[in-house]
Amino acid sequence: MYRYDEFDAAFVRERTEQFSDQVKRRVAGELTEDQFRPLRLMNGLYLQLHAYMLRVAVPYGTLNSRQMHKLAHIARTYDRGYGHFTTRQNIQYNWPKLQDVPKILEELAEVEMHAIQTSGNCIRNVTTDQFAGAAHDEIIDPRPVAEIIRQWSSLHPEFSFLPRKFKIAITGAQQDRAAVKFHDIGLMANEKDGQVGWRVFVGGGLGRTPMVAKEINDFVPHEDLLAYLEAILRVYNLHGRRDNKYKARIKILVHETGIEQIREEVEAEFAQLKDGVLTLPQDELDRISTYFAAPPFAADADDVLDAEQHALENAQYAKFLKRNLFKHRQPGYTSITISLKSVGEVPGDASDAQMDAIAELAREFSFDELRVSHEQNLVLPHVKKSDVRAIYERLVEIGLAEGNAGLISDIIACPGLDYCALANARSIPIAQDIAKRFADRENEFGELKVKISGCINACGHHHVGHIGILGVEKKGTELYQITVGGDATEQAAVGNILGRGVTGDEVPDALEKLLNVYMDQRENADEPFLDAFRRLGEAPFKEALYG
Amino acid sequence: MANANAAQAFVPKERLSDLQLVALNGMFDERDALSVLRFALEELTSHPIAMVSSFGADSSVLLHMVAQINPHQEVLFLETGKHFPETLEYVETMKQRLGLTNVRFLEPDTSDLARFDPKGDLWQTDPDSCCHIRKTEPLDAALKAYGGWVTGRKRFQTNDRGVLPHFELTSDERIKVNPLAYWDFEDVKAYRAEHDLPPHPLFNVGYLSIGCAPCTSMVKEGEDPRSGRWRGRDKTECGIHFDVSGKIAKPQAKGQSMKTLFKDGQFVEDQWRDLADDDALIDLDHVFMPFSLYIEHKDRLVGNNGALGLIVQPGDDVHEIGDDVHRFAAIAVEFPKFADGRGYSSARLLRERYGFDGELRARGDILTDQVQFLRRCGFDSLVVVDGPTRNALENDAIAGVSVFMQPTGRDIEVPAGTRPFLRRVK
Ligand code: HEM
Ligand code: SF4
Ligand code: SF4
Repeated sequence: MYRYDEFDAAFVRERTEQFSDQVKRRVAGELTEDQFRPLRLMNGLYLQLHAYMLRVAVPYGTLNSRQMHKLAHIARTYDRGYGHFTTRQNIQYNWPKLQDVPKILEELAEVEMHAIQTSGNCIRNVTTDQFAGAAHDEIIDPRPVAEIIRQWSSLHPEFSFLPRKFKIAITGAQQDRAAVKFHDIGLMANEKDGQVGWRVFVGGGLGRTPMVAKEINDFVPHEDLLAYLEAILRVYNLHGRRDNKYKARIKILVHETGIEQIREEVEAEFAQLKDGVLTLPQDELDRISTYFAAPPFAADADDVLDAEQHALENAQYAKFLKRNLFKHRQPGYTSITISLKSVGEVPGDASDAQMDAIAELAREFSFDELRVSHEQNLVLPHVKKSDVRAIYERLVEIGLAEGNAGLISDIIACPGLDYCALANARSIPIAQDIAKRFADRENEFGELKVKISGCINACGHHHVGHIGILGVEKKGTELYQITVGGDATEQAAVGNILGRGVTGDEVPDALEKLLNVYMDQRENADEPFLDAFRRLGEAPFKEALYG
Repeated sequence: MANANAAQAFVPKERLSDLQLVALNGMFDERDALSVLRFALEELTSHPIAMVSSFGADSSVLLHMVAQINPHQEVLFLETGKHFPETLEYVETMKQRLGLTNVRFLEPDTSDLARFDPKGDLWQTDPDSCCHIRKTEPLDAALKAYGGWVTGRKRFQTNDRGVLPHFELTSDERIKVNPLAYWDFEDVKAYRAEHDLPPHPLFNVGYLSIGCAPCTSMVKEGEDPRSGRWRGRDKTECGIHFDVSGKIAKPQAKGQSMKTLFKDGQFVEDQWRDLADDDALIDLDHVFMPFSLYIEHKDRLVGNNGALGLIVQPGDDVHEIGDDVHRFAAIAVEFPKFADGRGYSSARLLRERYGFDGELRARGDILTDQVQFLRRCGFDSLVVVDGPTRNALENDAIAGVSVFMQPTGRDIEVPAGTRPFLRRVK
């Protein structure tokens, strides 16, 4: 993975010092909150219901064991013994004290981490496929380009006061696991005339007006990518709406102006920037790529799981094998998803002890690499198949062996009313209730993505859940609106709202009704919920829910 | 909680700490006005928060929100005895329309009136004192039982209000709640239309901000809505917004001769001025002119003798003057709010695309932490009023980093030797 050189190190150190100084000025009362707000936001420090919240960037979701140990240490020392992994592939601490923040940032800097640009109206941490560099279906490893985008966007002087936050996602695989069509800019590897370049999508997003991104260019070569991004950002910075923060994302600009005209403006700007300073030299791409070279895989690793017998005896393990392994590009290897969705727990939370144990697993079994997925799980990307059972046993010990990746209990849920100042309703208890209700039948349902947001900001991605649940408030009571048919992959779709909201207690019953329709009417056990929904349409589901 | 009289006087012990206030503003940073108001009226402190309304031109929004939360909420109205009859009529209209049951009139103390304003003309000779006895005193007395009060102030209204937060502490540490802080005129208009709220009868005839009759005049098209208040006097705020303890805070002296132009490492005398209304468009020298005016009269300005300057506001499209940049000795790019970053793109286009090499100044809401960004985008002079930023500039203590991750095409950033690609050092 990418290693800081002196240049990066100096950059983060200076920035950390600068922010530490601002925090001190704030604590001393020299800065007003109004002056402090934009500064703290650019440095990942939010205020929420109970306290400050610190968001730490995990660039494109990649961590090594040292970093994970440090995250555990911070959870233990400065927080309440846990951290929260988020859909932005980063980690959030919910209880740091303001006066500790400089110290935390110093500790992070020791392991080449920081909280820069995890919030505020700037270009955010770039996200990507959690299986990048490991997946069997990859056209190109997106991480070198993600790293280059990270560098280019760090404290960009022109784009640090955009109309609104700006999120870029990139995938190099055929199957989109990074939800690129729901980002402000989505990049998808594309092959043309034997060359690999990027399909560029613009204007996707969730929130109160969910939109699927539109293609603005079907092939931008590597060398032109930064110039192209700069052109898009400049058009957005100058023309994005600033009169209404709910209409300030680029999706609204694209929607109101029309993709054709946006394309025209971007292309005009790009024509001027092309072949300028931003042109990415091949040797620089090669240099960065060496950081992401494949680890020294054993060529003769056994390509069968050594655990068949064990799996027969242990249904939990069988389920784990079926659900939590992902096909690796290297024979004999696999990627393991460590589910942070154990039934009854807070989705995405991990304790300090768990983080430490996972760091050790990465060090022993996965070439010291870990990933954070946007589905709020962790991934050991490069694991020998012959080690899977040993890893499983270790996961059992720390209570993270749930074999539910992609199943109904693998729920994305935002913090909701328990932690978030903006929430209408609770998310976490709803996720827990659903997981409890269906855990023992979830295998029958197969792949089913349930996503919950506590308000229309859609941090829980409910719009793209196969079943989405949105907390709304009516006359002081928490209600939940249910959507069906959302999809975050390349077939991007926003879920249909089925009807009026139901109370929290009724949510599991409502899901049961939807699942009954699916189980009764699916063509066979291989037809997943989403396919069945697409075939059947919303009518039978609506009927089941509202009669 | 709605019953103010039952509550004891506000006890300082329950005051919010500064950090709590910070947290509160953070919590409600992105929340809508109704949530802020609901929270203020129902949960904020164990002491009630007073709802004060002027029943003026834009009071209807908050009143409507209050009625939604609780129509029996007490609403305080300062009956100064100097209101337009239309205002009193409007109080009745709104009570009926919104079902408000508890509007309480606060009147000036009769002995004060007899002593200080027997003829009722104090407003002419000493408006501050008039406001004091007719507004500040009665309100101050009424507010004793409250932990704070709600105002309808909005950031856009006057220049002094650019950074108005949702919650503030007064000098005696009560809380002022400004649910509409982030609203602008359009928001108010849209809300009124959406809820079909009746306007103040005088609003439609040109009074955009309505106070007492003698002190309110009409506002001309394009003027600041509040400019009709105390027109022609050095008074922009009613004392009650500053301080309920009766001491009217002094507005900042205007037009003092502070040097605000920072150039070549120091604050210097500014040779330039903005075009005035009565300037003829000939032989302008060291004058900045508005963008649209330039576009309109560019042909006439061809033979201008003297140094011409241009003002670029956010939203002005610099491509339109790209080929004319050589005509300007200086271009001033405005940053009315620090969060509006359009000026950075305008600057880079002027410098890098159109090769402008005159003085490029940034004016407006400029804070320390932007200075480095501004310089990197090509600005070489800054007009700065913010105190801490001025200090930092004078002491060469501008926050920033010395290494950059991307080029911006300025010569202050030199390629770092063999360093690959984008990176630059200062
Ligand atoms: C608890 C404190 C949080 C607050 C106050 C908060 C606030 C917000 C707001 C206001 C938006 C809407 C922005 C817009 O549409 O312009 C948003 C969007 C989003 N948030 Fe959060 N959030 C919080 C926590 C989280 C967490 C924990 C996650 C990850 C699990 C998250 C992930 C996201 C994502 C992915 C979006 C983007 C949706 C889109 O593309 O429009 N947020 N958040
Ligand atoms: S979706 Fe709403 S409730 Fe959930 S974290 Fe985001 S802002 Fe908070
Ligand atoms: S606004 Fe005018 S009339 Fe009203 S109290 Fe103040 S000075 Fe007196």
